[in-house]
Amino acid sequence: MFGLNKIIPVEPNINFLGLRRNFLIFSILAIFISIGLLSIKGLNLGIDFKGGTLIEVSTKNTSIGELREILSSSYNDVSLQEFGNENIILIRLQNKSNQESIETVNSVKNLIQDKVVEFRRSEFVGPTISSELLFRGFQAVSFALIAILIYIWLRFEWQFGFGAVVALTHDVLFTLGLLSILNVEFSLATIAAILTIAGYSINDTVVIFDRVRENLRKYKKLELVDLFNLSVNNTLSRTIMTSLTTLLALVSLFIFGGEVIRPFALTMIIGVIIGTYSSVFIAVPTLLIFKFRPQDEDD
Amino acid sequence: MKNYPFWKSFTVVSLVLLGIIFAIPSIIYDEDSENWFLKNKINLGLDLQGGSYLLLEVQLDVLYKEELDNFVDSVRLISRDQAVKIEKIDIQENEVVVFFGNIEKIKDIKDSFFQMYRGVTLQINNNKLSIKLNDEYRKIIQDSAIKQSLEIVRKRIDESGTKEPLIQRSGKKRILLQLPGVKNPERIKDLLGKTAKLTFHIVDNENTSALQNNLAPFGKIIVPDMYDENTKYLLDKRAVVGGENLVDAKGSFDQTEGHAVSFRFDTEGAQKFGKVTTNNIGKNLAVVLDGVVITAPRISSAITGGSGIITGDFNAQEASDLAVLLRAGALPAPLEIVEERSVGAGLGADSIAAGQIAAIIGMVLVCIFMILIYGTFGALANVSLIVNLFIIISLLGTIGATLTLPGIAGIVLTIGMAVDANVLIFERIKEESLKQTKVFQIVKNGFDRAMSTILDANITTLIAAVLLFAFGSGPIRGFSITLSLGVIASMFTALMLTNFLVYMYLSFANKKELKL
Repeated sequence: MFGLNKIIPVEPNINFLGLRRNFLIFSILAIFISIGLLSIKGLNLGIDFKGGTLIEVSTKNTSIGELREILSSSYNDVSLQEFGNENIILIRLQNKSNQESIETVNSVKNLIQDKVVEFRRSEFVGPTISSELLFRGFQAVSFALIAILIYIWLRFEWQFGFGAVVALTHDVLFTLGLLSILNVEFSLATIAAILTIAGYSINDTVVIFDRVRENLRKYKKLELVDLFNLSVNNTLSRTIMTSLTTLLALVSLFIFGGEVIRPFALTMIIGVIIGTYSSVFIAVPTLLIFKFRPQDEDD
Repeated sequence: MKNYPFWKSFTVVSLVLLGIIFAIPSIIYDEDSENWFLKNKINLGLDLQGGSYLLLEVQLDVLYKEELDNFVDSVRLISRDQAVKIEKIDIQENEVVVFFGNIEKIKDIKDSFFQMYRGVTLQINNNKLSIKLNDEYRKIIQDSAIKQSLEIVRKRIDESGTKEPLIQRSGKKRILLQLPGVKNPERIKDLLGKTAKLTFHIVDNENTSALQNNLAPFGKIIVPDMYDENTKYLLDKRAVVGGENLVDAKGSFDQTEGHAVSFRFDTEGAQKFGKVTTNNIGKNLAVVLDGVVITAPRISSAITGGSGIITGDFNAQEASDLAVLLRAGALPAPLEIVEERSVGAGLGADSIAAGQIAAIIGMVLVCIFMILIYGTFGALANVSLIVNLFIIISLLGTIGATLTLPGIAGIVLTIGMAVDANVLIFERIKEESLKQTKVFQIVKNGFDRAMSTILDANITTLIAAVLLFAFGSGPIRGFSITLSLGVIASMFTALMLTNFLVYMYLSFANKKELKL
């Protein structure tokens, strides 16, 4: 109708696999840097996983500086941050015990009572809960990865499963590394985002693998590299289309969805881009390690 | 069109209609509607409608410690009856070890003890008797404590006037509370923060050396004053009567005493109270609440009517709160707040508005994009996408799921991902159109070939969503619900609705060739 679909040719012929060495080096570097960042700088853990108190207030006739002055006279571990606009302020406090923090919320509220229009939310996560949440989040991600792998292994040959694991591990580590650099708050919602990214990345990989499997049956004589290239090209416009529509929705969520959901949307945007990249440049080339046909073994 | 079976069109059209009809209650969203149909609307999570979420942990260690103390008291009593001397009692974390002066009667003591506490592990070793809280015994204590606590918490919350609270057990030793509409949970936390164990004890004014040495003899306890830690009382350990015998308590005002709590005993309590006050005229009677003495008035005359008042340095709110606590009864053990999340109605409303805008803009962008790329077919996919959204909303409403902020994020994400199935189909159709010219054959092949890929791709996302539900908590579960429903609905809309629409379009437009 508008002819825009011609931008991506129906039968593109791009030599993706030819570039695999460059991208492999890029990804390996990225993974090493990510691991380095995660172990040195770490993630910006939110109160879900670190424990502590968080209070969001909307204010009038005051500034973040004034509030900070009032609060830091009573607490030395208080941090304030503007949240979305200058009248909404997020107050974070670290406290050790459960009892202490309940009193903290009350006394903070009393200290700044006359500067505040509304206490928008207050959250407190005790130390036992935060470590449990971290453990359960870790559990959820691990089980999800294992379950997805079992599914792939049942539906495809095990070699595909291996390719999928490599791509998935790559995506999770790379995303975490970027979260560390960008200092995005890591919360329960981030765990949900990571799991969704895992699902999305696998989804993307599976579509290409599906085509690889189909082509393996169809073109018995084609060189594996060419066959993989063909498969990636066959599915290229779908890969791009779906990533773009998902990104459109996520960008809308990022811009308009409100401050609370923004870290989630950002994590998803990063993950979708990395997941799409890895399906093409990591998952498929990994398959080259294996010999899929008897005649290949003669080479 | 000739080949499109009637049953298929019928199923598609009716499912779509059902999806739209059942989305109506959630779209109108009349909060207080009693109408049977309009009641089937989405529940808003606490993060969207405002309210408080509290997670309380029953302090079981206190109970275990108490039970060990009971063991000690009972062993003392039994040995006194048997005239056996106790040399030493060793209270450890999990067991009590009693060292006896001689070993002859140790087996009898063990047996009598077992009569009182069936289920504990008892072991004799020379002159030592060890009494152990084993796992089963602890579990019995734990279960009954949680059950009791739940009941008391429920009563206290009801008394506080909170609308539609959700109170349930969570895990082994926790209680989960959801209090919709409660903006400021401080009062609730105050109500739950007290054990409210009320007992009446006779004060021992004669043994002054015990207080000076701060050492209570057997059968006595030293309890501080509520308002002055340094004032201490020596009391009979055995309570005359306790809060469990109260039938009513309310805040009252007395010209001379100020704010007070008036109470009434049941028959048994009234009898005990009457008897003790008759026999102890001239002594003091201490009113002990959670380990501190509120007041210890002198008994000037026998109180046989079964009612009385507790005076203290109360204000009106404190007196009425204490009355609430006494009416609801005592918690078996203290509760500790381990997690709290409170959201004001303002932030909730902001989140809903922001979520709606994000969903609408995301939707419009995706729709425009689909039309730009696929033309008429894109428009058909957009119809599916919109129906998809209706179906998600109607499913959320009919199964009574709770929509949270991450849940809204899940819906927006689904808008982007739901077109995937359509894209897979259209891309296949595009490929097929290069191989042959028969329009309906192209479309049929396109759908058939895309089918297995769509299933594989969506099942992996579903696996992630289901596990998220299993391990996630609260709001995150809301995300996995909307994501799962979205994925399932998108498979239906793509494989059935888009299929139906494409066939309709092709036969009505009477297309002879297909270019996508």
